[in-house]
Amino acid sequence: MSQFLNNIEPNIIDDEMVQKAIEEKCPEDLGDLARRESTNWKFVTELQLSFKSILQIDNLWPLENLTKLQLDNNVIEKIEGLQSLVHLVWLDLSFNSIEVIEGLDTLVKLQDLSLYSNRISKIEHMDTLQELQIFSIGKNNLTILEDVVYLRRLKSLRTLNLSGNPFCNEEHYTLFVVAFLPSLVYLDFKLVRDSTRKAAALKYQDLTKPLEQEEAQVLALQETEEAKQKELEYHQTAFVEYLNGSLLFDSLYEEDREAAKLASLPGVEDLLQAYKKEFVSVCENLYNYGLEEYEKREAEVSKFYKRVHEILAVNQEESKRIISDFESRNQRRLDELYQAGSGNLAESERAQGKENIRQLWDALMTLEALVSNDLEELLQDFKRSIDVIASTFTENIQGMFNQCRDLENEHHEKLMRIVIATQEKLDLDPFDESLPDDVQRLFEDKNTIVNIINTSHSIRLRKIDKRESDMLCNIYQWQISETEKAFQTESDRNRACIGKILCFINTLQKELDNTMILKPRE
Amino acid sequence: MEALEEREEVEETAEDAMSLNSSDFLDELSKAVEETSVTSAEYDFDWSSIDTSHLPSSYKTNSRQEKELLQLADHFFQQYSHLCPDRKPLFIHPLNECGVQKFVSTTVKPTLLPFPDLYYWSGCASFVCDYLIMEPLKCPITPPSSLYSPTTILKYQRGNCFDFAVLLCSLLTGAGYDAYCVHGYATLEMCSLDQTHELCPLLRKPPEVPEEEDPNKYRIKYPLDPQSKFELQQKAKKEEETESAQEEEREEEVVMEVGMPKQDPLHGLRVHAWVLVLPGKRKVTEAFFINPFTGNHHSTTDECFLGIESIWNHRNYWVNMQDCRKGCKDLSFDLSDSICWEIMFPKSNEISQSPTESPNKDTDDMKEKGEIDMNFEMPLSWVTQIRISRREYENPFSQGKKVILYDKAKLEKWAAYTNEDGLVERLTVYADSDCTEELEVKEWFKHREDLLYMREVNKQTQLTTDHFRRGHPLLLKAHSYTSLEPETGHTVEFYHTARADGLWKRSENAAEMTEYFVGREDFLHTRHIEFGERDKEMENAGITADANPRPIVQIKEHFHRNPEKPADEDIEERIFMVIDDTIQLTYHLELHDIIASKVVFCRVVGREKREDEIFLSRENTVKYEPWSSEKHKNMLYLYDLLWELRAEQKKLKHHVRASEAEMLNILMVREDEEANVKLSASMYSCAKRGQRQEATVGKLH
Repeated sequence: MSQFLNNIEPNIIDDEMVQKAIEEKCPEDLGDLARRESTNWKFVTELQLSFKSILQIDNLWPLENLTKLQLDNNVIEKIEGLQSLVHLVWLDLSFNSIEVIEGLDTLVKLQDLSLYSNRISKIEHMDTLQELQIFSIGKNNLTILEDVVYLRRLKSLRTLNLSGNPFCNEEHYTLFVVAFLPSLVYLDFKLVRDSTRKAAALKYQDLTKPLEQEEAQVLALQETEEAKQKELEYHQTAFVEYLNGSLLFDSLYEEDREAAKLASLPGVEDLLQAYKKEFVSVCENLYNYGLEEYEKREAEVSKFYKRVHEILAVNQEESKRIISDFESRNQRRLDELYQAGSGNLAESERAQGKENIRQLWDALMTLEALVSNDLEELLQDFKRSIDVIASTFTENIQGMFNQCRDLENEHHEKLMRIVIATQEKLDLDPFDESLPDDVQRLFEDKNTIVNIINTSHSIRLRKIDKRESDMLCNIYQWQISETEKAFQTESDRNRACIGKILCFINTLQKELDNTMILKPRE
Repeated sequence: MEALEEREEVEETAEDAMSLNSSDFLDELSKAVEETSVTSAEYDFDWSSIDTSHLPSSYKTNSRQEKELLQLADHFFQQYSHLCPDRKPLFIHPLNECGVQKFVSTTVKPTLLPFPDLYYWSGCASFVCDYLIMEPLKCPITPPSSLYSPTTILKYQRGNCFDFAVLLCSLLTGAGYDAYCVHGYATLEMCSLDQTHELCPLLRKPPEVPEEEDPNKYRIKYPLDPQSKFELQQKAKKEEETESAQEEEREEEVVMEVGMPKQDPLHGLRVHAWVLVLPGKRKVTEAFFINPFTGNHHSTTDECFLGIESIWNHRNYWVNMQDCRKGCKDLSFDLSDSICWEIMFPKSNEISQSPTESPNKDTDDMKEKGEIDMNFEMPLSWVTQIRISRREYENPFSQGKKVILYDKAKLEKWAAYTNEDGLVERLTVYADSDCTEELEVKEWFKHREDLLYMREVNKQTQLTTDHFRRGHPLLLKAHSYTSLEPETGHTVEFYHTARADGLWKRSENAAEMTEYFVGREDFLHTRHIEFGERDKEMENAGITADANPRPIVQIKEHFHRNPEKPADEDIEERIFMVIDDTIQLTYHLELHDIIASKVVFCRVVGREKREDEIFLSRENTVKYEPWSSEKHKNMLYLYDLLWELRAEQKKLKHHVRASEAEMLNILMVREDEEANVKLSASMYSCAKRGQRQEATVGKLH
C-alpha cells in the first residue's frame, strides 16, 4: 500500500471528479443531450469514487439526495464532510487509513456501513446510527474485546464482521460476541447457530444478566419520563400545564421564607390548609375546563377542515371531468391537424382548437372562482366560531382566576388579623416564650411584620396574574394563528390553482402551435 | 241459518259495505254461504272413511276427570249463552275423530320435537304450513263441529284452520312459548289462504335506511336559482288541473279496487283460527299472531284479523269480552284482566300468568300444587305423543312440492334431494297478474357439490347469474352469463380473500376485459384490457382460439392513492398502448390541486425499435407537464422509469394471457359441473345417505 501511495499523488474530491463519476454511471443509450442534462446533482442517488487516491473527502454537500456512496480503496485518513448527506443508506469506507470513527452522527438512515481494513482501534461515536443493520469493521486494530459491548445499543444490527482484528485470536472470541449481541444473525460471514447462541448465553450469563437488568431499568425510566413528557405536552396544548394538583399553589409559597415562619403561629397552619384546599379545587376546575375546551376547539377545527376537504374533493372531481372531456376532443383534433397539414381545412381546425382552449380556460376559471367564493364564506363562518370560542374561554378563565384572587385576599385578611392579634399579645407580654426565636424576631416591630405580609401577598397576587395572562395570551395566539393559517392556505391554494390553470392553457396553446410548425417542415 | 241470529252485527257491517235493504241482503248472504260451501266440496277429503279402530282408548272414551270437566264446560257454556244471548255459541267441547266430546284445552298437546328448527316459532310455523294441506271450513261462518287430535291431523297431513292452529300451538307451548289457539274472524284472503294480493316476502325490499344527516354546521348555502313567479303560478295552475283530472280517474280506480274486498258479503263473519303468542317467555317482547296457513308473523294490530271470540291453550280457556267492531286493533291481551277476558278456571289462570322464567321456580311449583288442590285440575291431554320422524320432517310436502301464488309471482318448493339438480325452491316473477309473461326466475339449490346455491335468470335479457357458497375450488362467488361459450360476455366474482392477487371481479367479452382488485399492496384497483380483432387468415386456417390469441391493443390500470408517496409521484393511471407503443402515466392529485401531471413516452419516429435499447430525447419521445415534479424532468430518472415500464408491460401481457386462460378454464369446469350435478349428503343424516346409496345402486343395475 505504501508503494502505491508513493507513486500516485493524493487527491481531494472536487467537482470535476464528482462530475466524471456521475457521467460514468449514465447509460450508454441515453442521448448525448439528455446525458448532459441528467447530471443535475440534486437527483444523483449513487456515487462511486473507488481507487481515486482520495486523501480528503470534500465537496460532496451538493449531492443532498445521495443514498449510496462508495469511497473504498483510497487513502482517506479522516471521516469528514459527510454531515449533509443525511439520506445515505449505504456508506463504504473500506480499504482506507481511517483511525477514528467520527463524523457519522447525522447519518441516521445509514443501514450498511463498511470500515473494513482501516486503522481503527476503538468502536465509538455510533449512538445515533439506530438503523444500522450491517456493520463491517474487520481487519482493523481493535484489541479490547469488551469494546464490542458498545454495539448493544444498535438495536437493528444483524450482521457484523470483526474478523482480522487482534482480539479475534482471544479464546472464546465468538462466544463472547454472540453472548453480548444475541440479535446477531451473521457474524464474520457465518450464520450464528441457535446452539452457539445458547452456549454463549450460558457461558456469560453472569456478565450479561446484570447488564440486561440495568438496560431494562434505564428503558423503564425512559418510558415513564416520556409518558410524563407526553402528558405535559398535551396539557400545554390545552394551556393547562401544572394546573392539576397543587403545583400552582406551591409555586405561590415557593421562596417565601417569612410565610413559612409565620406558619408556626397558632391557627395559621389550619388557615393555610383550608386556603390550599379551596385554591386547589379552583385550580382543578380550571384544569378540567381547559381540557374540555381544548377538545371543543379541536372538534371545531376538524369539522371545518372536513367540510373544506369535501368541497375541494368535489371541485377536483369536476375539474378532472372537464379536463378529460377536453383532452379526448383535443387529441382527436391534433391528430386530424397532423393529417390535414396546411390548407383551409387545417386553418379552420386550428381556429376551432383555439376556441376550445378558450372555452376550457373559461370553464376552469369559473369553477375556481366558485370554489374560492364558497371557501371564503366558509372561512368567515370559521372565523366567527373561533372568535366565539376564544372569547367564552377568556371570560370563564378570568372568572376562575378572580375566584383565586378572592381566596388569596380573604386569606390575607385572616392572616393579618391573626398577626395583629399576636402582635398585641406580644406587646402585652414581651417575654412570651411560646414562640420560636426567629418568629419572635419578626414581631419586633409592627410595621415590619405588616410590610412583610403585604409584600408576600402582592407577590402571590402577581403570580396568579402571571398565570392568568399566560393562559389568555395562549388562547389569543391560538385564535390568531388558527384563523390566519386557514386564510393563508386558502389564498395559497387559490393562487397556485390559477397559476396552474394559466400554465396548462399555455402548454395547450403551444402544443397547438407546434403542430403548425412541425407539419410544414416535413 | 246462524247468520240470521247475528242480525244486528250483520247490519252493521252491511251498512258500510253496501246500502241494500236487509231482507235482500240476507237472501244474498245465505246464497253466498251456500255457494262457498258447494265450491269447497271439491277439496273434500272423506274424513268419515278414516280408520279410527287402532286409536287408543283415551280417544274413544272420557275419563272421570274429563267427564267432570265436560260438565263444568257445559255449565260455563250455558251460563255464557244466558248472559250474552247475542253472541255466538262458544267453541268449547267439539267432537273428536271418534265422535267423543272433548274439551278444547285437552286437545292441545305440548310437544318439543328433536329438530333444532322446531325450537323456534318460525321453524314450527313453517313446518306446520308446509306439512299440512289446507282445507277450508265446511261452513265459512261457523266453527267446525268437530276438532280432531293433532296426531290424526299429522297422519293424514291435512286439516282446517282449527287443526292447523291446535298443532302449531302444541309445538309452540312445547318449545316454551306462551302460545294460545285463537277462535275469531278474519278476512276472506286469510281464511282461504289466498295470497295473490300479497307481495311475495322474498321480493320485499329491505326498508331503506335513511341517510344520516351530516351534523357539520359548516355548509354552504347556495342561493336558489331565480325563478319567475308568474311561471310558477302558471305551472301550479296546470298541475292543479291535471291533478284534479287524475284524481277523478283515481277515484274511479279506487272504487274498482276497493270494490273487490267489499264484494265479500261475509266480511267480518268468516271464522278463522290462528295462534297468539304472548310476551314474557322465550324472550318474546311483544304479543303477536301467527297465521298457521302461511306461517307468517302478524302484529296484533293487523287489519286482516277482524275479531276474537275465545282463546285457549292446554291450561285454560278465555272468552273475549272486548268489543271487536274495529277488528283486533284495540284489544288488550292482559289475560288476568277479568273485565276484558272471562276466564273459565279463574285460579289456575294466575298460575299460567306467573312468569315461569323467574328464578324462584320452586316456589311457583309449590304454589301451583297448593292451589290446584283447591280448584279443578285440568286433566292431561287425551292426545297421544306427537311424533314426527326425520324422514317426514325432511320431506314435508305431501305432494312432492308446494306451490304458493303471490301477487305477480309464483313460489314452488321441494324437499331437499327430491330433484336431481338439488333444486329446492323456485320463484317466478311475472309482469302481469295473470302470470303469463315471465320476468325473472330465481332458483335455490341445496346440497350441491359445486356449492351453487342460487341462480337468477332474467327472462328478458336471458342473463343468468349463478351464486356460489364459499369453498368452490375455483373460488367462484358469482357468475353471470348468457351462454357458457367463451368470449360471449361473462362476469365472474370471486371470494377474493382466498386469492393471492386480490381479484374480486372480472368481466370479459369479445373486445375487452376488466379486472377489479381489492386490498393490494401496490394499490391497483382496476385493470382494463382492450383486444383487437383476431387475425382473419389464421382463423380461416382452422387454428383454435388458444393458438390464435386476440391481439392486445391497450392495457389500462388504475391505482388508489398511496399515502406514503407525494401525490405527484404516485401513479393514478397507467396506459400501455401496446400497438401504438406509447405509455402514458397520470399522477394523483393533492387535495387542493385540480390538474394532474402526466408523463407520456411516445413511439420513436424514424428509428427502428429494438427490444434492448431505449432511445430517449427531450424533443419527441417524452412529454411531461411544466409543473411535473422535478424528478420527471430528469432524463436519467425517466430512463430508468421507461426500462421499468417496458418490463412491466411484458409482465402484463403474460398476465392477460393467464387471465384469458383462467376464464376458459372456469367455463370448462362450470360446463362440466352443470352437465353432471352431484349432490352431497350430510354425514350426520344416515337415512339420507342410505337412501342415496340405494338410489345409486338402483341406477347402476
